[in-house]
Amino acid sequence: MRLRLIILGILYVAALRAATYSPDNLPIPYLQDKTQYVSNPDGILSQEAVDSLNLWLGQMEVAHGVQTILAVVERIEGGDTYEFCMALGRKYGIGSKQQNTGLIILLSTGDRAYYILTGRGLEGTLPDAICKRIENHQMLPALREGDWDEAMLNTVRAITRYVDGDDSLVGSTDFDDTDDTVALIVFIGCMAFGIGLIFFAIWLDNRKKSYCPSCRQHKMKKISSYTTKNKRLGIKTHHDTYRCSNCLFTKELHWDEDLHSGNGAAAAGGALGGSFFGGGGHSFGGGGHFGGGSFGGGGAGGRF
Amino acid sequence: MKTLKSMMVAILATMALTSCTYNKLVEQEEVVAQKWADVQTQYQRRADLIPNLVNTVKGYAAHESETLEAVVAARTKATQITIDPANATPEQIAAYQAAQGEVSQALGRLLAITEAYPDLKANEQFSELQAQLEGTENRIAEARRLYNEAVQTYNVSVRKFPNNIWAMIFGFDKKTPFAAEAGAEKAPEVTF
Repeated sequence: MRLRLIILGILYVAALRAATYSPDNLPIPYLQDKTQYVSNPDGILSQEAVDSLNLWLGQMEVAHGVQTILAVVERIEGGDTYEFCMALGRKYGIGSKQQNTGLIILLSTGDRAYYILTGRGLEGTLPDAICKRIENHQMLPALREGDWDEAMLNTVRAITRYVDGDDSLVGSTDFDDTDDTVALIVFIGCMAFGIGLIFFAIWLDNRKKSYCPSCRQHKMKKISSYTTKNKRLGIKTHHDTYRCSNCLFTKELHWDEDLHSGNGAAAAGGALGGSFFGGGGHSFGGGGHFGGGSFGGGGAGGRF
Repeated sequence: MKTLKSMMVAILATMALTSCTYNKLVEQEEVVAQKWADVQTQYQRRADLIPNLVNTVKGYAAHESETLEAVVAARTKATQITIDPANATPEQIAAYQAAQGEVSQALGRLLAITEAYPDLKANEQFSELQAQLEGTENRIAEARRLYNEAVQTYNVSVRKFPNNIWAMIFGFDKKTPFAAEAGAEKAPEVTF
């Protein structure tokens, strides 16, 4: 038993230790969620930086069709950042096939090396010299200070400026393709169903209130209503009187309302709507796919 | 009877040609030519970078004229050799490869001596030129790899039975890939 625990412990520690990544085992979150361009398996970048990078890279794909994978890892197999990026590009075909505008940004902190690899269609927008300039001016100063977040944020910011300045790059149609149209229809359908359900519940509630237990007809109508407040308990009590227009049977209904959370029905409706919104948001962030872009070896890298 | 027989032979021959063999060989030969053109483009790109590089280095290391002249000479020699891939002999490919290999070596020596000039290394223009050169060496390696792949696909087609019969009749010869050359296909080692 004890031995097993020790073995498990060793395995756990081994799993926790930063792995050496090859293009084959580098996690690509983009495939599961197309808003995630950053692969940060060792948690080197902060979550805030990852979120910002994802946002900017997402805008770049929508506006200019530049599909990026940004990977920050502790160590890569072989230590050659160029070979790693090329193998990654070949494996996934990052970038659209028409424009070939794939972009791979790699930082291996343990190897102290980085690379910006440009797809064939990006070599005009981001020539090697420009990649080098961005690295020298934006990436290197922060890398020397060990500020990985800043290095990547500066780099992507600078790349975005160059890409934004190139009008020949056509935005991605990826975001309104059939997949998303279907997702949108499903989303609207869910919303309509949810709203319908709320109206149905209100209708059912009213129907229950209009039911006369004496003559068994739905003829009860509210004839008077007043409320009392209990500030100490934070409760508002409704006193409603209903009378049947058929047999003149009268009943009184008392119900409490929590003053802090507002109307009970509204709260339920909010929760329902919220959950539908949540579901819709999730379906919009579906897995991304790579267009089969090719890399001819453009870009620049270096060590620090 | 005789006309029927000859007609059938004609039909079979047409089918054999149109369905795959001949057209496939033509297509693959075109791919090889295209990939060869890409290789030449990248070598040309490197040749175009050299004058700029030499001038930049000259400004900082004028007395290294021997190394600088070697680069220029190798470049001149290499740019004089152009090859038509459709009828290039293995010897021509080897000569082309050797000439470009000399440029690579001369460039390697040039970049090695720049290590001794901190001012040059700090020069932004030089740093960017170096990056362009490295990128171009990478592009050359990639273009050569793709050319070799295309040649291999084509050669397999040409040698396979029954394609080899058609290849012989229509004159599709085996093509020569780039031989792996010690050091030549590698980008010059540049450290910062």
